[in-house]
Amino acid sequence: MNVRVDARDKVTGAVHYGDDRVPPGLLYARFAVATIGRGRVVSIDTEAAEAVEGVRLVLTHESGLGLKNSGFLMSGQGFGFQSLQPLASDHIAYRGQYIAMVVAETPHAAVHGASLIHATYEEEPFSVELDADGVEVFEQSNFIPNHVAGDADATLEGCEFVAEGVYDHPAQHAVPMELHNTTVMWDADTLIVHESTQNASSIQAGLAAQLGISAEQVQVISPSAGGGFGNRNSLQMHTSLAAIAAQRLGRPVKALVTRPQAFHNGSFRPATRQHIKIGMNAEGIFQAAVHEIDQQTSRHDLFPALFTEVSARLYGIKNFRGHQRLIRMDTQTPGFMRAPFEHAATFAFESAVDELAVLSGRDPVELRLLNDTMVDPISGLPFSDRHVAECLRTGAERFGWSARNPQPGSMTAEDGSAIGWGVALGNYPAHVVPVIVRVHADARGGLRVEAGGHEMGQGLRSALMATIADNLGIPASDVTLIVGDTRAVPQHVTAGSWGTASAITPVHNALQQLRERLGLPETGPVDLAAAVTAAGGATVTVESANRGPGQPEAIFDRLRSGLVAISGPQYADHVSFSHSAHFVEVRIEPSIHRIRVHRVVSVIDCGRVVSPVTAESQVRGAVVWGLGGSLREASEVDPRYGGFLNSDMAEYAIPVNLDIRDIDVSFVNKPDTKFSPLGAKGIGEVAMCGVGAAIANAVHHATGRRIRKLPIHLEDVL
Amino acid sequence: MKQRTGTVFETSVQVRARVNGKDVELTVDPRESLVDVLRERLGLTGTKKGCDHGQCGACTVHLDGRRVVSCLTPAVQAEGTEITTIEGVAGPDGELHPLQQAFIDHDAMQCGYCTSGQIMAGLAAIAEGHADTDDRAREYLSGNLCRCGAYCGILAAVRQVAEGDA
Repeated sequence: MNVRVDARDKVTGAVHYGDDRVPPGLLYARFAVATIGRGRVVSIDTEAAEAVEGVRLVLTHESGLGLKNSGFLMSGQGFGFQSLQPLASDHIAYRGQYIAMVVAETPHAAVHGASLIHATYEEEPFSVELDADGVEVFEQSNFIPNHVAGDADATLEGCEFVAEGVYDHPAQHAVPMELHNTTVMWDADTLIVHESTQNASSIQAGLAAQLGISAEQVQVISPSAGGGFGNRNSLQMHTSLAAIAAQRLGRPVKALVTRPQAFHNGSFRPATRQHIKIGMNAEGIFQAAVHEIDQQTSRHDLFPALFTEVSARLYGIKNFRGHQRLIRMDTQTPGFMRAPFEHAATFAFESAVDELAVLSGRDPVELRLLNDTMVDPISGLPFSDRHVAECLRTGAERFGWSARNPQPGSMTAEDGSAIGWGVALGNYPAHVVPVIVRVHADARGGLRVEAGGHEMGQGLRSALMATIADNLGIPASDVTLIVGDTRAVPQHVTAGSWGTASAITPVHNALQQLRERLGLPETGPVDLAAAVTAAGGATVTVESANRGPGQPEAIFDRLRSGLVAISGPQYADHVSFSHSAHFVEVRIEPSIHRIRVHRVVSVIDCGRVVSPVTAESQVRGAVVWGLGGSLREASEVDPRYGGFLNSDMAEYAIPVNLDIRDIDVSFVNKPDTKFSPLGAKGIGEVAMCGVGAAIANAVHHATGRRIRKLPIHLEDVL
Repeated sequence: MKQRTGTVFETSVQVRARVNGKDVELTVDPRESLVDVLRERLGLTGTKKGCDHGQCGACTVHLDGRRVVSCLTPAVQAEGTEITTIEGVAGPDGELHPLQQAFIDHDAMQCGYCTSGQIMAGLAAIAEGHADTDDRAREYLSGNLCRCGAYCGILAAVRQVAEGDA
């Protein structure tokens, strides 16, 4: 398969995202938000909004909504991106929290109405920065143990070389192109939800919990999402409000969250500060490392920091001490945003490794090769597979690394730009989640495949279609593929780079079952129409359920309940990760010191590559994310006002076309069959991990300056 | 024009336009944006709304052959114009425009939400003569954001068609 299976629909505008539904009688909802940093609503005036021609309903906390709490996804027992439901009370936890929803006959009447909502508040002090007075510090080891091996602090004392630094990373926002939205309608007692999501079952179960109805009464349909990046991986806080409005008005309601509102009512990458020490002996072997992290979370939820899960496994460092703390402050709950911790963790750790190379006069590639390992230093278990050395060697070759003059500031382009070459590694845990797949084969040769998983651009449909085509040898036109639909099979959150790896196994297994049922050979192309006809002509249905190694049968109950059910990266007898190596050339202009990424070479070790075309695009996209995350993106906060200041696409700078030049992508492409029978691991996040450090290391090579914060701006290299 | 008391307007304007080659006559509110009319009233949901503030380019359409962001274009401004949306780019029998095919061939998309706008912007950039070098094309496509980061493919697709046209 050499094209994306839904590409034709995408270039003709035919794909239906959540916001594209226009059922008859549709009403439109927009929100008004709190303008204080914390406190409570004393009064709310809805009269002017209600007087707008076409406004049908205004909901506030005084509307008797009776909403129950859907819980926080990461608590393990909830469904929401946060536990706090706006409009459930007069409490304002952060600036930008919804205070009212206005429903009208037209989008513009709803916008107009929402602009006329006026509230008075009782204000309370608030904190929105890691160092602010009033934050609360929470030891994460209260619920997740720190990663520790050996005695790092004592070992560091005796090391020849020590790199130590404090690395700051700002909050960042995912800003998927499709705005948060939902289109909901009631059919008698059944609630039908069209909403682009990475987690249809959490919306289903969460809405049921909030509205006090059964999950069977809720259908969530999300065939395609306009970008995910973690921003859509659980129930959003606008959906239940739209459902109540639709019920009260007896008509479908489409709610749209504006871009600035999404900056405050969706998850984001939390701000962090990392303290790193790595010690190395004279032979260039890392002896010990300390990695301490302070990570922002909200007052109302504990969003865990998982930095050391990757930093402890980048190398074979036998003495390691991780320490992760959560800093509670007055924002919405942060959450997953592409490589949520791993991007920042690898930026810091791989910057420190580069520093050791410079300190000791060793080549950064050679130093990394010297410290490679096939054993996880934390658990003592072997990696199921690991091709870090091949990533480094292939990347160095493709990049032309051998021509590098190690002296900082020694390489110059024709136009006088300073050239910097940097390298860094990335790693990302390989998880498996439970997935159920149902397959129906009919006598006309049609195959309907219903799978757990969501398509948000990563190419899940293409990967599943490739798996089907490989197995049966039938064309894509014979296959109807249903994903992201709770009416078909349960839909676990598709995130953490586990979607494809988790879904292809049960798809393959279901097809093997189908072969058996139809009396077909175990391999080779098949004539489905003939086989089904020979079996009597009735549609044949098979089902396959797959779970992570070591997960109990009861994990399927969690799947069906819409709860997270993640296994790995540590399994009974091995540990599994994907790996990456990135080589970056930056050029820094002599006049205004603008930093441009001139070219990137990325080599990815993700086991088997199932869908080469979409996999390559995913890697390029992740590199673009790495560039944005390292040179552009910062969600600015102001302690005087709370909330996020640059909350739109003009002020929050993501990469544009002119920022991007050549990105050379290659794969090791060796199936990790100890991890899973088909041997595919995740791509979407590991391909971003390490890009930040490779850029920062290249900036050091160009300028001699070690920048320990992201994003790196031109004023940092003046 | 009639105006109600206070801040609330109640007025409407007749608008006649050709949309993808078909005559359309609508009564619109002056507050209504072209993107909302296309999507919510004419069912042309291929045009996307990524920001509603002219910052992302997802809603790009052609108005009398010129590219505009339809979210910042009041629907009343469409009076007497010829509008082309993504639904009007392919031929009458569904045969893809060469730029659409080039987007497929270069996998110039991931989630697809910006793709309609990218293609409309790409067509315009080619017609304007702004796609004749890689750097100029990048510049003239930079009003259309792609959060998935499909820029390399988008550039390759636009350049391929621009060169073919030259």
